Amino acid sequence: MDTQDLDGRGHPRRAARTPLRLLAAAGAAALTVTAGLATPLNPAPQQARAEEEGKKVLTVAVAQSVDSLSPFLATRLVSTSIHRLMYEYLTNYDPKDNHAIPGLATKWEPSADKLTWTYTIRSNSKWSDGKGATAEDAAWTFNKMMTDEGAATANGSFVANFRKVTAPSPTKLVIELKKPQATMAALDVPIVPKHVWENVDDFSKFNNDKTFPIVGNGPFVVTGYKADSFVRLKPNKSFWRGAPKFDELVFRYYKDQDAAVAALRKGEVSFVAGQPALTPAQAASLKGDKNIKVNDAPGRRFYALATNPGARAKNGDKFGDGHESLLNQKVRQALFMAVDRKTIIDKVFQGHAVEGEGYIPPRFSTYAWKPTDGQKLSYEPEKAAELLDQAGYKKNGDGKRVGKDGKPINYRVLCHATDPQDKAVGKYLEEWWGALGIGVTLNCLDNVTDPWLAGEYDLAFDGWSVNPDPDFVLSIHTCAALPATPKDTGATDNFICDKKYDDLYDKQLAEYDPAKRADLVKQLESRLYDTGYMNVMAYPNAVEAYRTDQIKSITTMPEAAGNIYGQDGYWSWWSATPAAADEASDDESSSTGVVIGIVAGVVVLAGAGVFFTMRRRATAEDRE
Amino acid sequence: MTTGGEKTNGGPRTNGEPMTTETTARAAQASPRALARQRRRHSVARFWKQYRTHRAGLFGLAALALFGLIALTAPLTVGSDVQSVTNAPGRPLESPSAEFPLGTDQFGRSLLGLLVWGSRVSLLVGLLAAVLSVAIGALIGITAGHFRGWYATVMMRITDWFLVMPTLVLAIALATVMSRSLGTIILAIGVTTWPTTARLVRAQTLAVESRPYIERAKALGGGHWHIMSRHVLPNVMPLVLAQTTLIISSAILAEATLAFLGLGDPTVVSWGGLLQDAREAGAVSSGKWWYLVPPGIAIAVVALAFTLCGRAVESVLNPKLGVTR
Repeated sequence: MDTQDLDGRGHPRRAARTPLRLLAAAGAAALTVTAGLATPLNPAPQQARAEEEGKKVLTVAVAQSVDSLSPFLATRLVSTSIHRLMYEYLTNYDPKDNHAIPGLATKWEPSADKLTWTYTIRSNSKWSDGKGATAEDAAWTFNKMMTDEGAATANGSFVANFRKVTAPSPTKLVIELKKPQATMAALDVPIVPKHVWENVDDFSKFNNDKTFPIVGNGPFVVTGYKADSFVRLKPNKSFWRGAPKFDELVFRYYKDQDAAVAALRKGEVSFVAGQPALTPAQAASLKGDKNIKVNDAPGRRFYALATNPGARAKNGDKFGDGHESLLNQKVRQALFMAVDRKTIIDKVFQGHAVEGEGYIPPRFSTYAWKPTDGQKLSYEPEKAAELLDQAGYKKNGDGKRVGKDGKPINYRVLCHATDPQDKAVGKYLEEWWGALGIGVTLNCLDNVTDPWLAGEYDLAFDGWSVNPDPDFVLSIHTCAALPATPKDTGATDNFICDKKYDDLYDKQLAEYDPAKRADLVKQLESRLYDTGYMNVMAYPNAVEAYRTDQIKSITTMPEAAGNIYGQDGYWSWWSATPAAADEASDDESSSTGVVIGIVAGVVVLAGAGVFFTMRRRATAEDRE
Repeated sequence: MTTGGEKTNGGPRTNGEPMTTETTARAAQASPRALARQRRRHSVARFWKQYRTHRAGLFGLAALALFGLIALTAPLTVGSDVQSVTNAPGRPLESPSAEFPLGTDQFGRSLLGLLVWGSRVSLLVGLLAAVLSVAIGALIGITAGHFRGWYATVMMRITDWFLVMPTLVLAIALATVMSRSLGTIILAIGVTTWPTTARLVRAQTLAVESRPYIERAKALGGGHWHIMSRHVLPNVMPLVLAQTTLIISSAILAEATLAFLGLGDPTVVSWGGLLQDAREAGAVSSGKWWYLVPPGIAIAVVALAFTLCGRAVESVLNPKLGVTR
């Protein structure tokens, strides 16, 4: 599911795991079309921004709207990525292998009873207004989230288990816990300056986008923002890890990926974010461009088909209208077995993805899990049909399987109208499940939130970005994440509530030994796989592209084969080095523009010629 | 689509007059039914004779016949298997070759086959939406012209409201709130394009109703229904027909636009839908022209053909426009 829209409703969601897809309104779609049509044909080659006044500007084409610049509210990938640049977190992830490394804290250790964590805060980190960043700021940030519900909107799940947070000295932060918590070295919470934020009245409404520059201590400082237009950042020269090398970083909005690609070809932007990923056709055509590098790396996201397990609330009330047959595990597994994941990789992703198995992408090797041979639900349509027969859903005279209510089964599949992959996979589902005798209605919406939260769907396309610490993506399938009443919004992904799963979840969260915890997480994934609630079909690659004549080098995460946009850290933009000015050459795309312009001109002239001849003939006939 | 029609506002329809005199002369010799049939045959023959003189109209008709034939015979020529993604014969986005004359789409399906199959939906939606639009327009136009008074005022203000609303925006809004299906698209186009027809038909109704024979009919006891159905409707019918032909082309364009904007039924193959698929596959920026150009040309040609036919019909039926070819 594209949970980011759920997130917009203001319930606790962890930041960087925001799903990747963008939801545009119909109006935006119209805009998109105009942009898509106008820009590629616009023959005027625009000057590369990097050359303006000798200033090195790194322009990134993005599509997703910023939900909020307040770290207490933001959950979308674009916003949380910007927060990584604006504010320092207690810890960071190593770009090479994702292990926790010092951020604002230089050292952290638990007490013997595992309930008290002591962090040593660095003394060389300064806010951009000159004041020093101290443990007091961190303590204030956490305390605010613990006491103010509005401030707990985005990252409240981190502090739910905190008993007390204090700052005995400017360099010492002490967090006391109610229960042991394994994620203490992976607290993805931006630390904000107390002296600026203590003046804020209502945290649930303050979006932090009125006064610029925004005071921060990260590698960049936000100096300007206009919704769906741009976010402008200047490097923080006094950043403790060293200042970034570009003079300016701009996230510019291109609601249409084709327009963004055209802008990249022309050198208007230096980087096209792979969110949504470049299509196989775009990636292939960009690969032929000598000044453009396509980064096609294993992604940190999974792409799944989630079943509605019968929506319910914590108070026991059932709601929604999911199909009763989906409550049967055999039916869910049969549906699983009738999906040819290999074909999806080959045809829909054209190789730009890895076949899905366990819940966590193989990129996070510590936690990635694969089903055993006996357990695996591979593509076997005949066996799927057998399972459905066993479950009591037999075919009628027309070859359609009939539900308990005597009507042919027809599943409503919730899909994102803005995501071409959903529609493409949906076409395959129609045929695969159609062969089983099950009807499929694709319900493609710009905004899937309402039917999703109301449980009014049978199956839905779902996807989450996974963090190096998988706690969050696991937590969204626990009973505790269900909404309190049918009217509330819970942190739950799709209403899964399974006792065995919950027990394992609690165990892994309290386990401090990394190897043992990884083992528990794998058991958890195994349980989730067996229930058949989540069919992970693919781990899509991050397919993104940048101009090598504007960006000389940039860090991917993980370094060997990783993504650039949407990292768990600020590595890519902080490390990016500009190419020398003379390397920036005019590429052939500007001449392509000219050629298109000339061709268009000739066509118009020819058309006008024909038109006038016909007009003259018409008048001649008129005179007769 | 409307410019030609507007000119007929309030103009007297002379083409009905000769018929009446001709038939009364022979009334004694044959039964009324046979007479009516004969009269219709005559007027059709006359219509065709005049229509034949419009070269553009003939061209449009030929193009329409061709597309109609393609659409109707599609189940025999390409078959519904052409839409199947699981049995797609080619590799994704192959360029045109002997095997796939127009290349393949992102699933490896033959684009020529999809183009042929898509013509069914595009034409069907265009026709049905135009019929719906003209039906609403004619109903409101005739009743508003006949009843006058507060009813007409209210109806015309509603018409004005729809007239000033940007059609596409309204259609997008409608298509967004309703479920995604062909019916929705037809409805969205139908209920947003009727106001021009309503205005035209109302003006014509007013002109017809001011004639003396309507007064005679009233004097003889003809009720509202009788007058509207027996006297007004036959007289506005030619106008309605011409308007339908013209609206079809804009309905086809609207259908393509809505499908292109992703508001159509994603599981149905249509020309606009093909363009949308092409855009989503990144065909624009990667230069896969064979994915974009054929459906675009097909939409343009069919819309042009309907417009040419509509213009020709209009100029035959309305002598005031007669000279243009």
